[in-house]
Amino acid sequence: MSQPPRDLRAINAGQSVADHATRLDGLEKATGAARYGRDQIKKDMLWVRLIRCPWGRASLDSLDRDAALATPGVVEVVVSGDAGEYHGDSIGYVVARNRRALERGLQALDATWTRLDCKTGILDDEKARAPMGDPSAETAKAIDDAAFTFEATYSTPVQTHSSLETHGLMIEPDGENSIVHASTQGTFVVADQIGRFLGKPRSKIIIDCEHVGGGFGSKFQIGKEGAAGGLAAKTSGEAVYSFCDREEEHLDTGNRPSLLCKVRLGHDADGTIRGARFETFGGTGVSRRGGGARVPSGRFEFGTLDSPNHQDIQFNAGGPRAMRAPGCPQGAFVEELLIDEIAHRCGLDPLALRRRLDDSERRQRMYDVAADLIGWENRADTGSQTGTMRTGYGIGTCHWGKGRAPAKIEVVVHPDGHLEVRTGTQDIGTGQRTAMAALVAARIGVPLANISVAIGNSMLPAGPASGGSVCTPSTAPAAMAAADLARERILAGVAEREKLDADRLTIDDGVIMEGGRKVIRWEDACRRLSEPVSVTGEFDGQASAHWGEGSSEGVQAARVEVDCETGQIFVRDVIAIQSCGLPLVRKTAESQIMGGVIQGTSYALFEEQVLDPGTGAVLNANFENYKILGSEDCPRIVPVLWRDDQTGVRALGEPPVVPTAAAIANAVFNAIGRPVRDLPLRPDRVLAALAEPMAERVVAAAPRNADLENRA
Amino acid sequence: MNPFAYTSPRNTTDASALAVPNGDFALPVLKSGGMDLLDRMKEGLERPDLVVDLTRIDDPTLDAIDAGRIGGRVTLAMVAESEELRKSAPILGAASGSAATPQVRNVATVAGNLLQETRCWYWRMSQFDCLRKTGDDCPAREGDHRFHVIFQDGPCLMVHPSNLAPALFVLDGEVEVVGGDRTRIPIRDLYADPAVDWRSASVLSPAEIITGIRFKSAPNSAFIALKQKQSFDWPMVSGYAVLDLDGDVIKSARTCAGAVAPRPHPLPQVDAALAGLSIHDEARIRAACEISVDGADPLPGTAYKMTLLPVAIRRAVAAAAHSAGTARGGDA
Repeated sequence: MSQPPRDLRAINAGQSVADHATRLDGLEKATGAARYGRDQIKKDMLWVRLIRCPWGRASLDSLDRDAALATPGVVEVVVSGDAGEYHGDSIGYVVARNRRALERGLQALDATWTRLDCKTGILDDEKARAPMGDPSAETAKAIDDAAFTFEATYSTPVQTHSSLETHGLMIEPDGENSIVHASTQGTFVVADQIGRFLGKPRSKIIIDCEHVGGGFGSKFQIGKEGAAGGLAAKTSGEAVYSFCDREEEHLDTGNRPSLLCKVRLGHDADGTIRGARFETFGGTGVSRRGGGARVPSGRFEFGTLDSPNHQDIQFNAGGPRAMRAPGCPQGAFVEELLIDEIAHRCGLDPLALRRRLDDSERRQRMYDVAADLIGWENRADTGSQTGTMRTGYGIGTCHWGKGRAPAKIEVVVHPDGHLEVRTGTQDIGTGQRTAMAALVAARIGVPLANISVAIGNSMLPAGPASGGSVCTPSTAPAAMAAADLARERILAGVAEREKLDADRLTIDDGVIMEGGRKVIRWEDACRRLSEPVSVTGEFDGQASAHWGEGSSEGVQAARVEVDCETGQIFVRDVIAIQSCGLPLVRKTAESQIMGGVIQGTSYALFEEQVLDPGTGAVLNANFENYKILGSEDCPRIVPVLWRDDQTGVRALGEPPVVPTAAAIANAVFNAIGRPVRDLPLRPDRVLAALAEPMAERVVAAAPRNADLENRA
Repeated sequence: MNPFAYTSPRNTTDASALAVPNGDFALPVLKSGGMDLLDRMKEGLERPDLVVDLTRIDDPTLDAIDAGRIGGRVTLAMVAESEELRKSAPILGAASGSAATPQVRNVATVAGNLLQETRCWYWRMSQFDCLRKTGDDCPAREGDHRFHVIFQDGPCLMVHPSNLAPALFVLDGEVEVVGGDRTRIPIRDLYADPAVDWRSASVLSPAEIITGIRFKSAPNSAFIALKQKQSFDWPMVSGYAVLDLDGDVIKSARTCAGAVAPRPHPLPQVDAALAGLSIHDEARIRAACEISVDGADPLPGTAYKMTLLPVAIRRAVAAAAHSAGTARGGDA
């Protein structure tokens, strides 16, 4: 039952500032010419590697520091601890003249460890295994007053960061200064952090991150690898290179924490939820905090909700760091599957129930479009299919806030008409560089080819870190202000020379016009400048009516096929509708959405950190066994840029990853008639679910036309 | 990775001599495509002092493909793309084309695929000792063994990683070897009995080199891999079938399972049950394939493979009956 594909290529036409702009650095990145921090390998530099614990919990028995120091090429061995609390925990570092000497030095060190008992997951903690607590009297009454009670437990795994460009930095001395080539999502954050280790004032530190190979929340800190690099640079006064390898990247650069969520709620026959209690347990490894999940999200009406009931659970594994919409994809998985389970119990179309529980008018309109594009009318009732391959449809939703930060953008107009956009903010791969150029070009009225961008350096004007999806929403107003200032300066000069009214001048594709009459080409106007003109636009970081009251909202719909003999899930289509105010560059905005869907599909089906239950060793610190989505597993994705009446430039980075796993889990439930309440949706789990009885119905199914009436 | 000497002999006689440990080199190792060797060296599992590179050997038979023979140095990509093999034994191209990634298949060789080491994640991590190393225990037994055996043919719970070896089992294949007293080894004798020897990747002596594989023509042959991921994943279970058909009737069948035992796991009871059935008799074919799990003793974490194995075998039989040769697990 294949959905006839429609031509959706034009769906976003005319929705952005720059519909046809391509990434300014696309060719550089595709050819390898772009230099990332990790590429800063020089002949004469020192290499740093941390000494790491190989077990979940262990004490150091012996270590031959002298032998390591005697290894040719090894210059320093620093040992600062004698125990590890997780696989990948560090007790010091080795510094050597080249990579081979580094490896030999670590071998010569010959660290031996005694394994100690360890905890490897949320359920190793008795707090998580205990029965659910009693709700407050008010919530208990609401649940009791409802016609039906429902209880369920859901779980999600640890998803590791494993950035394409691993974490780390390269430091090179430059006179009194230190130039730090960092892989970071916060140019100015790193500048503040590294000084302590380098022993230098902020004024002597220059951060360079012209190209960054990914960072979904884990690159706000320099990490242990960065600290060791800083200390080694301070001690030696030489250039130092300290980057994680792929295994270390999986072990010790943060993750999306695992979640265990228990729910008890009361609902009526029509799907109305009268009251609910959620208990959440976040798996934070050795960290004390950071395991929170957003469930419920606030998008749906749950009646009398018990006060939040969250506990972070510690065990012997690396701790979490922020990861693309922290707490949200795991919360959405629980909440959206829960809603579909309630809908099924009541014999309702889950989309119809969502319309009732969701008070966002924008998402109400999105539901219509998502249902239309995915082919919701082809959806069979949950559990009604027989046969080997069963098709399922599911919906998920998201919203994202209006965070902003102060930003400055400098625009330099050169006498040849060329414009330079200067911003210290980093481009972690989202297309920040391209967005700034396209926005300035459009705002002034010159071709994109006239613009170059200097980005990702702490000598450039300050801008926000890439977190909370605030970067473009904050830099865009600053860039527009700078563009306006540059434009006014040039037009004022033209008006004065030509004795015209500046207010009546316009610029169209590089030509300055008065009414319909061409006055002068942009380049020729700029040629009159005696020196480059520099202007700076500032944004104060305050949200305003124009710049973002309300949130970015989204709805995704998935179509899957489930092989009921093997438990394999094939995600065929994902419709991803996302509002983000005014999209700047169509292609990079679509790319953000598609990337969110890809990451979310990978989270739904494959990704999980696996700890050996006995020793706490991470069994899959590589891309062979830490499974991520590959090209043949990728659904057809239709990103829809939703304009509506939203003003300003809004969050787009994080929200598209939130609904995907939820929509897929709902589609699987629809296909097989049993919920799979644990991510990832592995074949063994699907087969186990299929061996269970069909999900219970407490109300007879409404006839299909009743659903249709609800929809109308 | 440790430093090592490197040599690239021009003939197999020299290569064989170099591969034997001696006073100069205690740990010589043969390298063809080097895919698995490089992994093992990076993982610290193997620290050879001499790498004997077979890729410069001047012998065109190592690179040749015929209807009943493939040179040991032929890449998996070449096997997957061979028109000749698509006619004579489509199962080989299907099994080769499903392995790893296009990049790996462009380098990995037929002989290397047969001799690669297990992917058991405990064995692959240098901090774990195990039965296959120097230890007395298998950490997978009490550990996370979701990718391990359902047939406990020995104390080690690894599954054999080769996609090609089970295909050669059902094709009654042989490997050609040089460097020892013998020139042919039936594929069924290439791997040691895991109840007796659970540490060796094969019965070959250090001097022996696989120069090619030989097999019977089998136009009705097929391979099914059931993978969690369709890009770059090892099968959870794989199924192999060769049918000798008389019209629509199965005169005889040869089936084998992959990723369920320390060696490729032939299924003679299924073969016997399939003999004489019509390829259209779905119920009886299904029943015949159900007994593929006879004798299995799954681990708690591999119970799901009990469901998968009969499906993989049945789908392989169906694909072989219709001469499909290549069939992907998901396309039921």
